[in-house]
Amino acid sequence: MPNGFSRSRGTISFNGVWKKFRTGEAHDSLRDLLPALFKRPAVGASDDAPLRPREFWAVRDVSFRVDPGEVLGIIGANGAGKSTVLKLLTKVLRPTRGTISAPGRIGALIEVAAGFHPDLTGRENVFLQGTIMGMRVREVARKFDDIVEFAGISDFIDTPVKRYSSGMNARLGFSIAAHIEPDALVIDEVLAVGDLAFQTRAFARVAEMAERGIPVIVVSHQLDRVASLSTRAMVLDHGAIAKEGPADECISFYTTQATKTTEEIPLHSPIRLTALDVPAQSVKSGERASFRVTGEIDPGVDLEHTEPLGLRVRSTSSGELVSIFGNKRCGLTIREPGRFVVEVDLQFNLPPGVYMLEVHPHDGRRQRPMHQSLVASMTVTEGTTFIGKNQLNPRMRFAEPRTDR
Amino acid sequence: MKRIIADFAEIARDYITYRDLLWQLVLRDVRIRYKQAVMGFLWALFMPTLLVLAGLLVRMAVADSAQPGIGAPGIGGIAARGVLWATFAAAVSFGTASLIGNAVLVGKIYFPREVLPVAAVLSNGFDGLVGGLVVVIAAPFLGAQATMALLWVPLLVVLLVLLAIAVVLAFSALNLFFRDVKYIVQALMTVGVLFTPVFYRSTDLGATGARIIAYNPLTPVLEGVRLAVFQGHNLLQPLVVEGIVAWSPWMLGYAAALGVGGLLIASLAFHRAEGIFAERV
Repeated sequence: MPNGFSRSRGTISFNGVWKKFRTGEAHDSLRDLLPALFKRPAVGASDDAPLRPREFWAVRDVSFRVDPGEVLGIIGANGAGKSTVLKLLTKVLRPTRGTISAPGRIGALIEVAAGFHPDLTGRENVFLQGTIMGMRVREVARKFDDIVEFAGISDFIDTPVKRYSSGMNARLGFSIAAHIEPDALVIDEVLAVGDLAFQTRAFARVAEMAERGIPVIVVSHQLDRVASLSTRAMVLDHGAIAKEGPADECISFYTTQATKTTEEIPLHSPIRLTALDVPAQSVKSGERASFRVTGEIDPGVDLEHTEPLGLRVRSTSSGELVSIFGNKRCGLTIREPGRFVVEVDLQFNLPPGVYMLEVHPHDGRRQRPMHQSLVASMTVTEGTTFIGKNQLNPRMRFAEPRTDR
Repeated sequence: MKRIIADFAEIARDYITYRDLLWQLVLRDVRIRYKQAVMGFLWALFMPTLLVLAGLLVRMAVADSAQPGIGAPGIGGIAARGVLWATFAAAVSFGTASLIGNAVLVGKIYFPREVLPVAAVLSNGFDGLVGGLVVVIAAPFLGAQATMALLWVPLLVVLLVLLAIAVVLAFSALNLFFRDVKYIVQALMTVGVLFTPVFYRSTDLGATGARIIAYNPLTPVLEGVRLAVFQGHNLLQPLVVEGIVAWSPWMLGYAAALGVGGLLIASLAFHRAEGIFAERV
């Protein structure tokens, strides 16, 4: 096995993994080549050399474990180290420090059309790309019809791929990768491939693969996809794990961090929201759902200019806030210090997707949350009473008296 | 030592696991060379034909009236060595660029990187086979001798392939670290034909020249093929022509040692370095 890498049964694990990269041009190639030839550290790479100028840690001290049946979502800004983690896992890169173990055959939905040669036909490329991804020719041949059918390009399979549209190219690549029977699966930003119809099928296919009881890692900027696939998530920031936990908490952490609207949570806040109970995890578009928020207010808090209960609803797919309100703005005043329990009833006039409910005390003077408090996710499913993006509260009346015949 | 054995076990396992990929890469390279090509299979004959013509020209230029003309065996010898040389040179040039040429794959997807340079050599070997087939068909008319010595030819061809793979493994990896390696190799392959007995026999260089040119690892292969095919010479026996050593069994040992030893060392170095390839493409 390559340095720092070992085979495991069914479980992916990273133990204190670090990866060093260098910026700018490399002028000292010999310095990299010679040690590689003569040193062969046993499993467990441990390069303790300090960073040299222009070097940086792309991945720093990352440890996690994904057991069979689990789906770990990794989110983070561009350059946070997500793809590097996947490349370390798929053995494209070797860790500078730490150890990685993973099952034998890792199905990688990454760069699914990278091996295509434009002059070769779709058929020839299916065999080429399939073997690049670690399949045997016999296996590709057996799945060939399924691959072509899933990609929906049967009529063009004997056409050189240089005549394909970029969508057809990506669909064929995805389809090949999606027909591997892997021991573990990693997915990096391939769910945005093709048109809407294909995306839906691709997503269903990935969800189906994820349900085979193998460990799965998903990297995507489509946060709603991460939310609905993952059993757990992890936020990477500058190569380190910034947060780990349930997907909705991580998404909320990441989106609020990315939009930078909240302040640090103070050690002791005079207003504390202690519980957010959402009984129904999903609701049909246009229908109502309610949930409870419990909080405590210290005596002497200026309730004139604060709303103890502020609520924001955020779309996980775009990270955008779709609605912001608070108890005062809903006509409910909280005058007394002490414990309070408020029931919030919302009509989810929202397009289908996953939304974050973020509750926090609201600073009325500065028009912003005092600090981040609690979050929960709500999945809005296809409904019949509301279709569209915004509820315009339409009113209709006859402009002229009707004439009866 | 234990580590080295473990490395070779890994290398062997990689080749076995990814043999289908190796084959698909060879197919890819062969297909794209013959698709949308004006010459198609004539391409495989193009370089050897040019080399034979160039060889005849060189021989005419250096000929003096005292010596007899080149004759059919002379032409046959140049053709056989020309095909071998052209195949070797193309394989080395093509193979050296194989890792850079597949940078997207090397940077994004895991598979044993050895398959890229080895596939490059084998796909050029396919061209060599086509050219070689023509030489085999023409050989009886060019004075080839049907003797047991012909059995040496497959062995020499295998040696040439081993040498090519060893060189290509080393150069393709070096090219990732030093990008000018590709140009150095191209230059070497352009003028290399002059430092290799393709147009001339090693004995044409005189006693000292023959001794020096024997250090070129291709000399035993090319001269061995010529002597076995056109003179029916058993390569286990030395051959002295006009007081100059034309062949010695040691030459065979030298080429075999370089081919096998070079392949082992290059494979090991390549295998140990390949973990950092993705960062250098």
